[in-house]
Amino acid sequence: MRAQFRKRIRIVLAIIILIALGIFIRLYFLQIVHGQEYVQKANQQFASGGSGLFDRGSIYFTRKDGTLISAATLATGFLVAIDPQEIVDAEAAYTAINSIASSTMVTHAAFLADAADKTKVYVEVAYHLSDANGSALATLAIPGVQVLRETWRYYPGGSLAAQSIGIVSDGSGNIPTGQTGLEATYNSVLSRSGDVLHKNFFAELFSNAGSLLANTQNANEGDIVTTIEPEVQTRLQDDITKVNQKYSSEGSGGIIMDPKTGAIYAIASYPTFDPNNLQNLDPSLLVNPLVENVFEYGSIMKPITMASALTAGAVTPQTTYNDTGCIQVDGDRICNWNLKAYGVIPMLTIIQDSLNVGASWVAEQLGQSRFRQYFTNIFGQKTGIDLPHETDALLANLSKPQQIYYDTASFGEGIAVTPIQMIRALAAVANGGMLVRPHLVSNIILNSGASKPVNWGSGTRIFSVAAARETTVMMDALWDNALKVNGISAKIPTMSVAAKTGTAQLPTPTGTYYKNKFFNSEVAFFPSFNPRFIILLYTKDPKNVIYAEQSLSTSLLDLVHFLINYYAVPPDRGVATTTVP
Amino acid sequence: MSNTHKHFQFSLLSFCYITVGVLTVTYIGLIAVVMSYAALTVEFSQSVKNDEAAVAMLESQYLTSVANITNTNYSAEGYAPPIAQIFVPATAVTALR
Repeated sequence: MRAQFRKRIRIVLAIIILIALGIFIRLYFLQIVHGQEYVQKANQQFASGGSGLFDRGSIYFTRKDGTLISAATLATGFLVAIDPQEIVDAEAAYTAINSIASSTMVTHAAFLADAADKTKVYVEVAYHLSDANGSALATLAIPGVQVLRETWRYYPGGSLAAQSIGIVSDGSGNIPTGQTGLEATYNSVLSRSGDVLHKNFFAELFSNAGSLLANTQNANEGDIVTTIEPEVQTRLQDDITKVNQKYSSEGSGGIIMDPKTGAIYAIASYPTFDPNNLQNLDPSLLVNPLVENVFEYGSIMKPITMASALTAGAVTPQTTYNDTGCIQVDGDRICNWNLKAYGVIPMLTIIQDSLNVGASWVAEQLGQSRFRQYFTNIFGQKTGIDLPHETDALLANLSKPQQIYYDTASFGEGIAVTPIQMIRALAAVANGGMLVRPHLVSNIILNSGASKPVNWGSGTRIFSVAAARETTVMMDALWDNALKVNGISAKIPTMSVAAKTGTAQLPTPTGTYYKNKFFNSEVAFFPSFNPRFIILLYTKDPKNVIYAEQSLSTSLLDLVHFLINYYAVPPDRGVATTTVP
Repeated sequence: MSNTHKHFQFSLLSFCYITVGVLTVTYIGLIAVVMSYAALTVEFSQSVKNDEAAVAMLESQYLTSVANITNTNYSAEGYAPPIAQIFVPATAVTALR
């Protein structure tokens, strides 16, 4: 019995040794003899999977009814790769592929060069084929040609808010990474970790069991929901484009925002780009001028000067001064835009008729110290908008002792701020003196399905409620009494609108100012005393036009009427009798 | 009267055979389940991606339509701006206030 047991044990042992020996020999051949070949094949598998089938969260626009529309999502299709070692007839293969994927294929010369390089076994030659085209090419079964599934970043709106949505391109380790705009700011939310099932199934099979129980990535990864309304964005972009093309400007831009919350409905600049086609893209277009460039705006700065002086008690709406048309300050001459002397006038006229002498007088009443304090509080820090590379304002002139710098700053020259800083400051006038934080994202939809609202704070008070209201009255009077669009009053009988135009000379590289190059800007918010929207437009160096009223008012009025109709904003005032304006 | 009761005899070797057999079957079964699960997940994931891509195409068409409507030159289409706009008095019963 015992001998039989030993015999059996020996047989089992022999079998185990034989199996172990077999495995050892097999491993020797796998790892030593054919090691390089398998490494190469494995690398090919990882290369095609890693570069093509990437995953990334979506970015959404939000329609006025709450419907989410993709601003950035994923598209799927096929890529074409060749194995130069297997390819038989390179010319025929090129012809076959090119007949199906001509628009996204490498050049003829590049294809033939790749096909001739027999040291390679995998070269991608065409991208972004539709399912139909991919299947059609696959059925041809061309030797050495592989048709592989791929995923890529797709922007359904094309150039819609392109500079703010941003782009994705390969970062470190060839992992697609957000480079600009929201794609960059929210990259940690949008990017997906490398635990995709498509990669190497067997390598991942038993290594992530823990994540099945508690997936910590779900706590951070998700999709982002913006406050951008696609139809408003389209309208703003269309208006900006028309202004720029009509006046052959160097560049134009605009922002539409909720002044009470800082939620941005639309943000556009021209020129722009199509993020779906980044070939031959001018890299300068990736810069978002609305947060990364600073400008001198001219007279739309006057409401900020006025609200500061009213808050400080330096002036009241009833205060009067003697406007002489021109004044001498530190050896320089400051004049009203029309060189007209208005005589003794109240504060309202300074805003309504956009008087530089009046704004200078208000700045002098405020005093250098308080002027610097207010302007530093408003423009001295970045807005904190959720876009990358936000630039600081240039306020160096407010550190100098000469009064001329404060006088010029009072009507928007000599200090430069970003468009997002400018609309934020003017929104404080609209918003009862509260400075809010502009933002583009309202919610993050986590992978778990939970929606996490982003808290942007309640704002900081910079103007008194009374000062903000009194300044609004002045801006409201400008819209009703002074602003003309193509010679016709902009006044809307059933809607109060507060507005201000601004025209500044463009600075030269040497620090002086061009006599014939201008920066036009215009702002409006409505309804004036309970505003839902604030609009800022600008155009840089428009040709054959000087004043913002000429270049921007048509677009501003179009946007005001569009928003009233689109959002069905109820009238905030009426007319005494039936009126035919 | 015969004794029909049989005594169970413990065998270490048999126990090992059975244990190895059960473990092997369980192991193969687990691999089969996990592979099937993974295959289905990959397939479902791809299906979701395809659907998302199809929705993205529809969204692109919608946004293109919005752009086309915005760009429409109504004068060129034969429409004329209103000759006059009549505003209802604030005191009228139909006024929105």
